[in-house]
Amino acid sequence: MTEVLFIVYFVLLVATLVIKTPIIKGPWLFLLRAFFPNWKFFHAVGYVPHLYARSAVALASGELQWSDWVLIYPRRVRRLSHLVHNPDTNIGLGQQNMVDHFWADLHDLPEGVDPRGLVSYKMMQRLTDQVLRARDVNFTHRQFELRMALDGRHGNLDTQVMMTSPVELAC
Amino acid sequence: MLSMALIQALVDAPMLMAIRATELVFAWSLTIQTLEYLRMGKYTANDAFWSWQLQRDDIPNAPVRALLDVLFKPRMHQLHLWLRLAAALTLAVQGASLPLVVFLFVGNLLILIRWRGAFNGGSDFLTLVVLTGLLISQVVGAFGHVQLGWQAGFWYIAIQAITSYFMSGAVKLLRREWRNGSAMTIFLNGAIYGPLSATHPLRNKWLTLMGSWGFIVWEILFPFSLLDPRLAALFCAVAAFFHFLVFWFFGLNRFFWAWMCSFPAIIWCSAQFSARFV
Repeated sequence: MTEVLFIVYFVLLVATLVIKTPIIKGPWLFLLRAFFPNWKFFHAVGYVPHLYARSAVALASGELQWSDWVLIYPRRVRRLSHLVHNPDTNIGLGQQNMVDHFWADLHDLPEGVDPRGLVSYKMMQRLTDQVLRARDVNFTHRQFELRMALDGRHGNLDTQVMMTSPVELAC
Repeated sequence: MLSMALIQALVDAPMLMAIRATELVFAWSLTIQTLEYLRMGKYTANDAFWSWQLQRDDIPNAPVRALLDVLFKPRMHQLHLWLRLAAALTLAVQGASLPLVVFLFVGNLLILIRWRGAFNGGSDFLTLVVLTGLLISQVVGAFGHVQLGWQAGFWYIAIQAITSYFMSGAVKLLRREWRNGSAMTIFLNGAIYGPLSATHPLRNKWLTLMGSWGFIVWEILFPFSLLDPRLAALFCAVAAFFHFLVFWFFGLNRFFWAWMCSFPAIIWCSAQFSARFV
């Protein structure tokens, strides 16, 4: 009997991959989502959200002098010792997860609602400020952009802009 | 020779050994996680991007928000992490107990909320699975059924882990990019240690094709590990290698340790399950 239940269990698992069911959402479900297994580690190849930002300095004339757009994407140097202690890489991975959440929040946002009210938008503001400040302490304004990049085996295939923030004063 | 002896020892391990192995590896995994959290204070400060002042708006319930405001004050959060470290050491030295596991379980939920639901995805999930398994063992044990409690806890951990491997393989099998091997190159290029150099072997189409299929087949066959504890030990050894590669290329060190915590339960459950056929 146990063996039959065992087989039925795995058949049902496969069925869940084929049969589409509605997605239940809610703030507590989001915060406690670690209770629900996500088996889709590195599964889908497609458009991936990338955060770009640029900074500006206000000139005496009142004009803004903009830097180039920079990609805010964590890159680290690998070490074997990181197997037991890797806070810097993990915070980089957390930072990229945050960008993914921002994309998901934007995606779910009803038409016409201002994204500036999103927690993830405010976190993006802080993140871009931190990265831009490391490049230029004196910048006064910033702007960021969420671009969706489609990569292939030999590099980028396509990039589309999903959202461009208004020009904002740096925090 | 030594590794064969180790695998054989794991296969023959009585329940007590499986319990101690789970407690020790899990304590080690928690210690690594907690020491890393303790180094992240500057990212969770009030002016940083993981500031609780920003994140508190995610909490829909005002009384809960007020409680979390107190618990997530930087000093309080630091204190919690130090207590968690002490709890992990106690788990390693003295073994699991109901108050200790309840503290770790509730504390883990708080840490997840502090990091907006998850800090490290799969490792958070497996950490919670092992903690839930330990909690089951202690709650059932508190009613006088210690052995039954551990049995239930181990089966909970083993089923969750085996399901994860199986489903990860099945999900990949359904994706064309995994079947033709290109997904591996694309993900490695986008990884935190990426991109791959122009001459890197993993840019080779045939190598990634073989690698992809190797992992897909191994993951999908993982439920067969329950048929024989020696087979389970072998599957777990391959899993350890797989998670080491994931660490090496993606920097996910927590995955490596979090998944190792489930191996004693998988091997013990396999011994129990396969005994039915003898």
